[in-house]
Amino acid sequence: MSHRLGLPLFFLTVLLTAVPTFAQEAYVTAQLAGEVAVVDLGQAKVIAHIPLDGAPAGIALSPDRRTAYVTRPEGQSVAVLDLDARKVTASLAVPGGPLGICVDPQTGTVYVADWYASRVFVLAPAPEGLKQTGEIAVGKSPSGLAVTPDGRSLLVANREADSVSVVDLATARESQKIAVGQHPFGLTLSADGRRAYTANVTSNDVSVIDVAARREIGRVKTGDRPYVVALAGGRGFVTDQYSNTVTAFGLDDLKPAGTIDVEDHPEGIAAAKDGKTLYVANWGDNSLSVIDAGTLKVTGKIAVPDGPRAFGDFLR
Amino acid sequence: MTRHGENTMRRIVFAGIALTTLVAGVAQAQHAPTRRKIVEAIEIDAAADKVWAVVGNVKDSSWVERVVGTREDGDDPAVSTRTLTLGSGRTLVEKGRRYDAARRSLAYYITSNDVRDLPAGDYSATISVQPEGTDRAKVEWNAAFYRGYPNINPPPELNDENSEKAVRAWVHASLENLKARVEKGGS
Repeated sequence: MSHRLGLPLFFLTVLLTAVPTFAQEAYVTAQLAGEVAVVDLGQAKVIAHIPLDGAPAGIALSPDRRTAYVTRPEGQSVAVLDLDARKVTASLAVPGGPLGICVDPQTGTVYVADWYASRVFVLAPAPEGLKQTGEIAVGKSPSGLAVTPDGRSLLVANREADSVSVVDLATARESQKIAVGQHPFGLTLSADGRRAYTANVTSNDVSVIDVAARREIGRVKTGDRPYVVALAGGRGFVTDQYSNTVTAFGLDDLKPAGTIDVEDHPEGIAAAKDGKTLYVANWGDNSLSVIDAGTLKVTGKIAVPDGPRAFGDFLR
Repeated sequence: MTRHGENTMRRIVFAGIALTTLVAGVAQAQHAPTRRKIVEAIEIDAAADKVWAVVGNVKDSSWVERVVGTREDGDDPAVSTRTLTLGSGRTLVEKGRRYDAARRSLAYYITSNDVRDLPAGDYSATISVQPEGTDRAKVEWNAAFYRGYPNINPPPELNDENSEKAVRAWVHASLENLKARVEKGGS
Protein backbone atom coordinates (compact mmCIF):
# COMPACT_ATOMS: atom_id res chain seq x y z
CA MET A 1 0.00 0.00 0.00
CA SER A 2 2.69 2.43 1.01
CA HIS A 3 4.61 1.45 -2.09
CA ARG A 4 1.63 2.17 -4.31
CA LEU A 5 1.22 5.61 -2.79
CA GLY A 6 4.93 6.23 -2.75
CA LEU A 7 5.50 6.31 -6.46
CA PRO A 8 2.91 8.95 -7.37
CA LEU A 9 4.06 11.02 -4.38
CA PHE A 10 7.61 10.78 -5.61
CA PHE A 11 6.60 12.04 -9.04
CA LEU A 12 4.49 14.81 -7.51
CA THR A 13 7.47 15.96 -5.46
CA VAL A 14 9.70 15.95 -8.51
CA LEU A 15 7.08 17.90 -10.44
CA LEU A 16 6.65 20.51 -7.70
CA THR A 17 10.36 21.07 -7.18
CA ALA A 18 10.86 21.11 -10.93
CA VAL A 19 8.37 23.91 -11.59
CA PRO A 20 10.56 26.90 -10.62
CA THR A 21 13.51 25.52 -12.61
CA PHE A 22 11.43 25.01 -15.72
CA ALA A 23 9.27 28.12 -15.37
CA GLN A 24 9.24 29.65 -18.80
CA GLU A 25 6.79 31.41 -21.03
CA ALA A 26 5.56 30.60 -24.52
CA TYR A 27 4.22 33.29 -26.85
CA VAL A 28 1.78 31.56 -29.13
CA THR A 29 0.63 33.33 -32.27
CA ALA A 30 -3.03 32.35 -32.49
CA GLN A 31 -3.72 33.23 -36.09
CA LEU A 32 -7.48 32.73 -36.12
CA ALA A 33 -8.11 34.16 -32.64
CA GLY A 34 -6.13 37.27 -33.56
CA GLU A 35 -3.80 37.39 -30.59
CA VAL A 36 -0.53 36.35 -29.06
CA ALA A 37 -1.32 34.12 -26.09
CA VAL A 38 1.12 34.16 -23.18
CA VAL A 39 1.48 30.67 -21.72
CA ASP A 40 3.07 30.05 -18.34
CA LEU A 41 4.69 26.69 -19.00
CA GLY A 42 5.15 25.96 -15.30
CA GLN A 43 1.46 26.42 -14.60
CA ALA A 44 0.60 24.92 -17.99
CA LYS A 45 -1.98 27.56 -18.83
CA VAL A 46 -2.59 30.77 -20.74
CA ILE A 47 -2.06 33.67 -18.35
CA ALA A 48 -2.46 36.63 -20.70
CA HIS A 49 -3.86 37.54 -24.11
CA ILE A 50 -2.22 40.20 -26.28
CA PRO A 51 -4.78 41.11 -28.98
CA LEU A 52 -3.23 41.42 -32.45
CA ASP A 53 -5.16 41.38 -35.71
CA GLY A 54 -3.79 40.72 -39.20
CA ALA A 55 -3.48 36.94 -38.70
CA PRO A 56 -0.29 36.86 -36.57
CA ALA A 57 1.94 33.96 -37.63
CA GLY A 58 5.71 34.31 -37.30
CA ILE A 59 7.55 35.32 -34.16
CA ALA A 60 11.13 36.15 -33.20
CA LEU A 61 12.70 37.54 -30.03
CA SER A 62 15.30 40.26 -29.55
CA PRO A 63 18.75 39.20 -28.30
CA ASP A 64 17.87 40.41 -24.75
CA ARG A 65 14.62 38.37 -24.94
CA ARG A 66 12.51 41.35 -23.84
CA THR A 67 10.95 42.20 -27.19
CA ALA A 68 9.01 40.01 -29.60
CA TYR A 69 8.52 40.77 -33.29
CA VAL A 70 5.41 39.25 -34.80
CA THR A 71 4.49 39.09 -38.50
CA ARG A 72 0.94 39.89 -39.60
CA PRO A 73 0.62 38.55 -43.16
CA GLU A 74 -2.98 39.77 -43.55
CA GLY A 75 -2.22 43.07 -41.83
CA GLN A 76 0.92 43.62 -43.93
CA SER A 77 2.99 44.65 -40.96
CA VAL A 78 5.33 43.55 -38.20
CA ALA A 79 4.25 44.22 -34.61
CA VAL A 80 6.64 44.99 -31.76
CA LEU A 81 5.66 43.50 -28.39
CA ASP A 82 7.04 44.40 -24.98
CA LEU A 83 7.05 40.96 -23.34
CA ASP A 84 7.35 42.20 -19.75
CA ALA A 85 4.49 44.69 -20.16
CA ARG A 86 2.64 42.17 -22.38
CA LYS A 87 1.51 44.75 -24.89
CA VAL A 88 2.01 45.87 -28.46
CA THR A 89 4.21 48.97 -28.51
CA ALA A 90 4.61 49.58 -32.24
CA SER A 91 3.87 48.26 -35.70
CA LEU A 92 5.72 48.75 -38.96
CA ALA A 93 3.93 48.41 -42.29
CA VAL A 94 5.72 46.19 -44.81
CA PRO A 95 4.42 45.23 -48.25
CA GLY A 96 3.52 41.76 -49.49
CA GLY A 97 2.99 38.84 -47.14
CA PRO A 98 5.30 39.03 -44.13
CA LEU A 99 5.45 35.52 -42.64
CA GLY A 100 8.82 34.08 -41.59
CA ILE A 101 10.90 36.21 -39.23
CA CYS A 102 14.21 36.03 -37.38
CA VAL A 103 16.59 38.22 -35.43
CA ASP A 104 20.35 38.55 -35.81
CA PRO A 105 21.61 37.48 -32.35
CA GLN A 106 24.60 39.85 -32.65
CA THR A 107 23.00 43.07 -33.85
CA GLY A 108 19.29 42.67 -33.16
CA THR A 109 18.49 43.36 -36.83
CA VAL A 110 15.18 41.79 -37.84
CA TYR A 111 14.72 39.88 -41.11
CA VAL A 112 11.25 39.29 -42.52
CA ALA A 113 10.44 36.99 -45.45
CA ASP A 114 7.83 38.07 -48.01
CA TRP A 115 5.82 34.92 -48.74
CA TYR A 116 4.37 36.36 -51.95
CA ALA A 117 7.66 37.43 -53.45
CA SER A 118 11.40 36.63 -53.54
CA ARG A 119 12.73 39.06 -50.98
CA VAL A 120 13.60 39.53 -47.34
CA PHE A 121 13.06 42.88 -45.62
CA VAL A 122 15.77 44.23 -43.34
CA LEU A 123 14.34 46.03 -40.30
CA ALA A 124 16.37 47.76 -37.62
CA PRO A 125 15.24 48.42 -34.04
CA ALA A 126 14.58 52.14 -33.67
CA PRO A 127 13.15 54.50 -31.02
CA GLU A 128 9.75 54.27 -32.80
CA GLY A 129 9.94 50.46 -32.83
CA LEU A 130 11.33 49.29 -36.15
CA LYS A 131 12.38 50.94 -39.37
CA GLN A 132 13.08 49.36 -42.72
CA THR A 133 16.69 49.73 -43.81
CA GLY A 134 16.92 47.41 -46.78
CA GLU A 135 15.71 44.52 -48.87
CA ILE A 136 17.56 41.40 -49.97
CA ALA A 137 16.70 39.35 -53.06
CA VAL A 138 16.39 35.61 -52.35
CA GLY A 139 14.50 32.65 -53.88
CA LYS A 140 10.75 32.30 -54.49
CA SER A 141 8.38 32.32 -51.48
CA PRO A 142 10.90 32.67 -48.67
CA SER A 143 9.56 31.21 -45.42
CA GLY A 144 11.76 30.03 -42.52
CA LEU A 145 15.01 31.91 -41.95
CA ALA A 146 17.79 32.23 -39.38
CA VAL A 147 21.04 34.10 -38.76
CA THR A 148 24.14 32.12 -37.76
CA PRO A 149 25.34 32.75 -34.16
CA ASP A 150 28.42 34.62 -35.46
CA GLY A 151 26.13 37.05 -37.29
CA ARG A 152 27.84 36.44 -40.62
CA SER A 153 25.18 34.65 -42.63
CA LEU A 154 21.43 34.63 -43.05
CA LEU A 155 19.92 31.36 -44.27
CA VAL A 156 16.53 31.45 -45.96
CA ALA A 157 14.32 28.52 -46.98
CA ASN A 158 12.77 29.32 -50.38
CA ARG A 159 9.58 27.28 -50.42
CA GLU A 160 8.78 27.49 -54.12
CA ALA A 161 12.40 27.30 -55.28
CA ASP A 162 13.36 24.12 -53.37
CA SER A 163 16.45 25.87 -52.12
CA VAL A 164 18.12 27.65 -49.23
CA SER A 165 19.66 31.06 -49.87
CA VAL A 166 22.83 31.92 -48.02
CA VAL A 167 23.07 35.68 -47.58
CA ASP A 168 26.42 37.21 -46.69
CA LEU A 169 25.38 39.82 -44.12
CA ALA A 170 28.54 41.91 -44.60
CA THR A 171 27.37 42.72 -48.13
CA ALA A 172 23.66 41.96 -47.58
CA ARG A 173 23.61 39.89 -50.76
CA GLU A 174 22.80 36.31 -51.54
CA SER A 175 26.09 34.52 -52.08
CA GLN A 176 24.80 31.03 -52.77
CA LYS A 177 21.75 28.84 -53.22
CA ILE A 178 21.79 25.34 -51.77
CA ALA A 179 19.46 22.78 -53.35
CA VAL A 180 17.27 20.95 -50.79
CA GLY A 181 14.09 18.82 -50.84
CA GLN A 182 10.73 19.96 -52.17
CA HIS A 183 9.13 23.04 -50.65
CA PRO A 184 11.32 23.75 -47.62
CA PHE A 185 9.31 25.71 -45.04
CA GLY A 186 10.84 25.84 -41.56
CA LEU A 187 14.59 26.38 -41.22
CA THR A 188 16.45 25.65 -37.98
CA LEU A 189 20.10 26.21 -37.12
CA SER A 190 22.05 24.19 -34.56
CA ALA A 191 23.25 26.16 -31.52
CA ASP A 192 26.79 26.25 -32.91
CA GLY A 193 25.55 27.31 -36.34
CA ARG A 194 27.28 24.44 -38.14
CA ARG A 195 24.16 22.63 -39.30
CA ALA A 196 20.87 23.81 -40.71
CA TYR A 197 17.71 21.73 -41.08
CA THR A 198 14.81 22.42 -43.41
CA ALA A 199 11.43 20.72 -43.22
CA ASN A 200 10.50 19.92 -46.82
CA VAL A 201 6.70 20.04 -47.00
CA THR A 202 6.03 18.10 -50.18
CA SER A 203 8.95 15.65 -50.31
CA ASN A 204 8.17 14.63 -46.70
CA ASP A 205 11.71 14.85 -45.46
CA VAL A 206 14.27 17.01 -43.71
CA SER A 207 17.36 18.32 -45.49
CA VAL A 208 20.49 18.51 -43.37
CA ILE A 209 22.88 21.25 -44.45
CA ASP A 210 26.56 21.66 -43.64
CA VAL A 211 26.58 25.45 -43.29
CA ALA A 212 30.34 25.98 -43.79
CA ALA A 213 30.48 23.63 -46.79
CA ARG A 214 27.31 25.22 -48.19
CA ARG A 215 25.74 21.92 -49.18
CA GLU A 216 23.15 19.37 -48.23
CA ILE A 217 24.75 16.38 -46.50
CA GLY A 218 21.75 14.25 -45.63
CA ARG A 219 18.02 13.60 -45.80
CA VAL A 220 15.71 12.22 -43.13
CA LYS A 221 12.24 10.82 -43.91
CA THR A 222 9.37 12.34 -41.94
CA GLY A 223 5.60 11.96 -41.74
CA ASP A 224 3.26 13.82 -44.09
CA ARG A 225 3.81 17.53 -44.65
CA PRO A 226 6.63 18.38 -42.26
CA TYR A 227 6.56 21.98 -41.01
CA VAL A 228 9.59 22.83 -38.89
CA VAL A 229 12.41 21.17 -36.90
CA ALA A 230 13.44 21.67 -33.26
CA LEU A 231 16.63 20.33 -31.69
CA ALA A 232 17.02 18.85 -28.21
CA GLY A 233 19.23 16.27 -26.53
CA GLY A 234 21.09 15.21 -29.66
CA ARG A 235 17.90 14.69 -31.63
CA GLY A 236 15.88 16.53 -34.20
CA PHE A 237 12.09 16.76 -33.84
CA VAL A 238 9.93 17.65 -36.79
CA THR A 239 6.21 18.40 -36.79
CA ASP A 240 4.23 16.43 -39.41
CA GLN A 241 1.13 18.52 -40.15
CA TYR A 242 -0.92 15.84 -41.91
CA SER A 243 0.18 12.83 -39.85
CA ASN A 244 -0.52 14.55 -36.51
CA THR A 245 2.88 13.34 -35.34
CA VAL A 246 6.34 14.53 -34.42
CA THR A 247 9.15 12.53 -36.04
CA ALA A 248 12.35 12.25 -33.98
CA PHE A 249 15.74 11.52 -35.55
CA GLY A 250 19.34 11.27 -34.36
CA LEU A 251 21.47 14.30 -35.22
CA ASP A 252 24.60 12.18 -35.55
CA ASP A 253 23.33 9.21 -37.52
CA LEU A 254 20.33 10.97 -39.15
CA LYS A 255 18.30 7.82 -38.47
CA PRO A 256 14.69 7.74 -37.28
CA ALA A 257 14.48 7.67 -33.47
CA GLY A 258 10.70 7.42 -33.07
CA THR A 259 7.30 8.85 -33.90
CA ILE A 260 5.25 10.72 -31.32
CA ASP A 261 1.49 11.12 -31.67
CA VAL A 262 0.36 14.67 -31.04
CA GLU A 263 -2.85 16.50 -31.97
CA ASP A 264 -4.38 17.79 -35.20
CA HIS A 265 -2.08 19.77 -37.53
CA PRO A 266 1.05 20.26 -35.43
CA GLU A 267 3.01 23.32 -36.58
CA GLY A 268 5.47 25.35 -34.47
CA ILE A 269 7.81 23.38 -32.20
CA ALA A 270 10.55 24.56 -29.84
CA ALA A 271 12.75 23.15 -27.10
CA ALA A 272 12.73 24.58 -23.59
CA LYS A 273 15.89 26.08 -22.10
CA ASP A 274 16.74 22.85 -20.28
CA GLY A 275 16.80 20.97 -23.58
CA LYS A 276 14.60 18.27 -22.08
CA THR A 277 11.13 19.43 -23.00
CA LEU A 278 9.54 20.30 -26.32
CA TYR A 279 6.41 22.31 -26.97
CA VAL A 280 4.34 21.77 -30.10
CA ALA A 281 1.56 24.08 -31.30
CA ASN A 282 -1.35 22.00 -32.64
CA TRP A 283 -3.09 24.33 -35.09
CA GLY A 284 -6.19 22.19 -35.52
CA ASP A 285 -6.65 21.18 -31.90
CA ASN A 286 -5.89 24.59 -30.34
CA SER A 287 -3.37 23.19 -27.91
CA LEU A 288 0.30 22.83 -27.06
CA SER A 289 1.58 19.29 -26.64
CA VAL A 290 4.38 18.87 -24.13
CA ILE A 291 6.96 16.23 -25.10
CA ASP A 292 9.74 14.71 -23.02
CA ALA A 293 12.74 14.85 -25.36
CA GLY A 294 14.37 11.86 -23.64
CA THR A 295 11.49 9.38 -23.44
CA LEU A 296 9.70 10.70 -26.56
CA LYS A 297 6.42 10.66 -24.61
CA VAL A 298 3.74 13.31 -24.49
CA THR A 299 3.60 14.46 -20.88
CA GLY A 300 0.91 17.10 -21.09
CA LYS A 301 -1.38 19.29 -23.14
CA ILE A 302 -2.13 22.98 -22.71
CA ALA A 303 -5.23 24.61 -24.24
CA VAL A 304 -4.51 27.75 -26.29
CA PRO A 305 -6.67 30.08 -28.44
CA ASP A 306 -7.79 29.35 -32.02
CA GLY A 307 -5.30 28.54 -34.76
CA PRO A 308 -1.94 28.43 -32.95
CA ARG A 309 1.00 28.55 -35.36
CA ALA A 310 3.93 29.69 -33.22
CA PHE A 311 6.18 29.78 -36.28
CA GLY A 312 9.57 30.82 -34.96
CA ASP A 313 11.33 31.47 -31.67
CA PHE A 314 8.33 31.41 -29.32
CA LEU A 315 9.77 30.40 -25.93
CA ARG A 316 11.69 32.41 -23.35
CA MET B 1 -17.70 15.36 -86.17
CA THR B 2 -18.51 12.15 -84.40
CA ARG B 3 -19.72 12.03 -80.83
CA HIS B 4 -16.40 10.53 -79.85
CA GLY B 5 -14.57 13.35 -81.63
CA GLU B 6 -16.59 15.99 -79.80
CA ASN B 7 -15.77 14.40 -76.46
CA THR B 8 -12.10 14.26 -77.33
CA MET B 9 -12.22 17.89 -78.41
CA ARG B 10 -13.90 18.87 -75.15
CA ARG B 11 -11.26 16.99 -73.19
CA ILE B 12 -8.51 18.79 -75.04
CA VAL B 13 -10.13 22.16 -74.29
CA PHE B 14 -10.51 21.19 -70.64
CA ALA B 15 -6.91 20.00 -70.49
CA GLY B 16 -5.89 23.34 -71.95
CA ILE B 17 -7.78 25.23 -69.23
CA ALA B 18 -6.36 22.95 -66.55
CA LEU B 19 -2.85 23.46 -67.86
CA THR B 20 -3.27 27.25 -67.88
CA THR B 21 -4.50 27.09 -64.28
CA LEU B 22 -1.60 24.84 -63.34
CA VAL B 23 0.99 27.10 -64.95
CA ALA B 24 -0.54 30.12 -63.22
CA GLY B 25 -0.45 28.17 -59.98
CA VAL B 26 3.20 27.23 -60.30
CA ALA B 27 4.18 30.86 -60.84
CA GLN B 28 2.64 31.83 -57.50
CA ALA B 29 3.10 30.89 -53.88
CA GLN B 30 1.39 27.56 -53.44
CA HIS B 31 -1.07 28.78 -50.87
CA ALA B 32 -2.12 31.89 -48.98
CA PRO B 33 -0.50 32.73 -45.65
CA THR B 34 -3.50 32.03 -43.42
CA ARG B 35 -5.07 28.60 -43.11
CA ARG B 36 -8.82 28.60 -42.52
CA LYS B 37 -10.65 26.23 -40.21
CA ILE B 38 -14.25 25.11 -40.19
CA VAL B 39 -16.05 22.64 -37.95
CA GLU B 40 -19.49 21.36 -38.95
CA ALA B 41 -21.46 18.76 -37.04
CA ILE B 42 -24.76 16.95 -37.44
CA GLU B 43 -26.86 14.71 -35.22
CA ILE B 44 -28.13 11.55 -36.86
CA ASP B 45 -30.85 9.25 -35.54
CA ALA B 46 -28.91 6.03 -35.97
CA ALA B 47 -26.32 4.02 -34.10
CA ALA B 48 -22.76 5.28 -34.44
CA ASP B 49 -21.62 2.01 -36.04
CA LYS B 50 -24.27 2.31 -38.69
CA VAL B 51 -23.21 5.86 -39.51
CA TRP B 52 -19.55 4.82 -39.53
CA ALA B 53 -20.35 2.02 -41.96
CA VAL B 54 -21.09 4.77 -44.50
CA VAL B 55 -18.51 7.40 -43.46
CA GLY B 56 -15.70 4.89 -43.02
CA ASN B 57 -16.24 3.27 -46.39
CA VAL B 58 -13.87 5.31 -48.51
CA LYS B 59 -14.66 3.18 -51.55
CA ASP B 60 -17.99 4.96 -51.81
CA SER B 61 -18.11 8.69 -51.17
CA SER B 62 -21.41 9.19 -52.97
CA TRP B 63 -22.90 10.80 -49.85
CA VAL B 64 -20.45 13.67 -50.25
CA GLU B 65 -22.06 16.59 -52.07
CA ARG B 66 -21.49 16.64 -55.85
CA VAL B 67 -19.67 13.28 -55.88
CA VAL B 68 -20.94 10.92 -58.58
CA GLY B 69 -18.17 8.31 -58.57
CA THR B 70 -15.38 7.00 -56.32
CA ARG B 71 -12.29 5.00 -57.14
CA GLU B 72 -9.88 3.85 -54.45
CA ASP B 73 -6.27 3.03 -55.32
CA GLY B 74 -4.82 0.89 -52.57
CA ASP B 75 -6.58 -1.05 -49.83
CA ASP B 76 -5.42 0.71 -46.68
CA PRO B 77 -7.70 3.71 -46.08
CA ALA B 78 -5.01 5.26 -43.85
CA VAL B 79 -2.90 5.93 -46.93
CA SER B 80 -4.92 5.06 -50.04
CA THR B 81 -5.67 7.51 -52.81
CA ARG B 82 -9.32 8.14 -53.70
CA THR B 83 -10.39 9.79 -56.92
CA LEU B 84 -13.83 11.35 -56.62
CA THR B 85 -15.62 12.20 -59.84
CA LEU B 86 -17.83 15.23 -59.47
CA GLY B 87 -21.00 16.29 -61.22
CA SER B 88 -18.93 18.88 -63.09
CA GLY B 89 -17.04 16.04 -64.80
CA ARG B 90 -13.84 17.05 -63.05
CA THR B 91 -12.20 15.09 -60.25
CA LEU B 92 -11.10 15.70 -56.72
CA VAL B 93 -8.27 13.47 -55.50
CA GLU B 94 -7.87 12.72 -51.83
CA LYS B 95 -5.32 10.71 -49.88
CA GLY B 96 -5.64 9.09 -46.47
CA ARG B 97 -3.81 10.63 -43.48
CA ARG B 98 -5.10 8.46 -40.66
CA TYR B 99 -7.79 5.83 -40.23
CA ASP B 100 -9.00 4.66 -36.83
CA ALA B 101 -12.01 2.36 -37.05
CA ALA B 102 -12.09 1.80 -33.27
CA ARG B 103 -12.53 5.53 -32.70
CA ARG B 104 -14.64 5.90 -35.85
CA SER B 105 -12.39 8.60 -37.16
CA LEU B 106 -10.64 9.17 -40.46
CA ALA B 107 -8.42 11.91 -41.78
CA TYR B 108 -7.42 12.70 -45.34
CA TYR B 109 -6.17 15.50 -47.52
CA ILE B 110 -6.90 16.64 -51.04
CA THR B 111 -3.99 16.39 -53.45
CA SER B 112 -5.80 17.78 -56.47
CA ASN B 113 -8.91 19.89 -56.93
CA ASP B 114 -10.17 22.62 -59.22
CA VAL B 115 -11.16 25.82 -57.43
CA ARG B 116 -14.31 25.92 -59.58
CA ASP B 117 -15.48 22.84 -57.67
CA LEU B 118 -13.99 23.62 -54.27
CA PRO B 119 -12.41 27.04 -53.73
CA ALA B 120 -9.69 25.79 -51.43
CA GLY B 121 -5.99 24.98 -51.52
CA ASP B 122 -4.07 22.45 -49.41
CA TYR B 123 -7.30 21.14 -47.93
CA SER B 124 -7.18 18.50 -45.17
CA ALA B 125 -9.88 17.15 -42.89
CA THR B 126 -10.86 14.80 -40.11
CA ILE B 127 -14.31 13.24 -39.96
CA SER B 128 -15.40 11.39 -36.83
CA VAL B 129 -18.55 9.69 -35.58
CA GLN B 130 -19.36 9.73 -31.86
CA PRO B 131 -22.19 7.78 -30.24
CA GLU B 132 -24.84 9.79 -28.37
CA GLY B 133 -26.54 6.95 -26.61
CA THR B 134 -27.39 3.80 -28.56
CA ASP B 135 -29.57 5.16 -31.38
CA ARG B 136 -28.06 8.51 -32.01
CA ALA B 137 -24.71 9.69 -33.30
CA LYS B 138 -22.93 12.95 -33.86
CA VAL B 139 -20.75 13.39 -36.91
CA GLU B 140 -18.10 16.07 -36.81
CA TRP B 141 -16.21 17.26 -39.87
CA ASN B 142 -13.12 19.41 -39.23
CA ALA B 143 -11.62 20.95 -42.32
CA ALA B 144 -8.44 22.98 -42.72
CA PHE B 145 -7.59 24.77 -45.95
CA TYR B 146 -6.26 27.90 -47.55
CA ARG B 147 -8.39 30.19 -49.71
CA GLY B 148 -8.86 29.25 -53.36
CA TYR B 149 -6.54 31.98 -54.62
CA PRO B 150 -3.00 31.55 -53.33
CA ASN B 151 -1.54 34.93 -54.11
CA ILE B 152 -1.99 38.47 -52.82
CA ASN B 153 -5.20 40.38 -53.74
CA PRO B 154 -7.56 37.44 -54.38
CA PRO B 155 -10.63 37.87 -56.57
CA PRO B 156 -13.75 38.15 -54.36
CA GLU B 157 -15.02 34.63 -55.06
CA LEU B 158 -11.70 33.13 -53.94
CA ASN B 159 -10.90 35.32 -50.93
CA ASP B 160 -10.73 33.97 -47.39
CA GLU B 161 -14.34 34.79 -46.53
CA ASN B 162 -15.95 33.37 -49.66
CA SER B 163 -13.70 30.31 -49.82
CA GLU B 164 -14.65 29.53 -46.25
CA LYS B 165 -18.33 30.09 -47.01
CA ALA B 166 -18.23 27.73 -49.99
CA VAL B 167 -16.35 24.96 -48.18
CA ARG B 168 -18.70 25.24 -45.22
CA ALA B 169 -21.74 24.96 -47.51
CA TRP B 170 -20.25 21.87 -49.22
CA VAL B 171 -19.48 20.19 -45.90
CA HIS B 172 -22.90 21.06 -44.53
CA ALA B 173 -24.69 19.70 -47.60
CA SER B 174 -22.62 16.50 -47.42
CA LEU B 175 -23.56 15.95 -43.79
CA GLU B 176 -27.23 16.52 -44.64
CA ASN B 177 -26.92 13.93 -47.42
CA LEU B 178 -25.38 11.50 -44.95
CA LYS B 179 -28.15 12.04 -42.42
CA ALA B 180 -30.85 11.58 -45.05
CA ARG B 181 -29.27 8.39 -46.37
CA VAL B 182 -28.64 6.76 -43.00
CA GLU B 183 -32.00 7.70 -41.49
CA LYS B 184 -33.90 6.63 -44.60
CA GLY B 185 -32.11 3.29 -44.46
CA GLY B 186 -34.13 2.37 -41.33
CA SER B 187 -32.69 1.28 -38.00
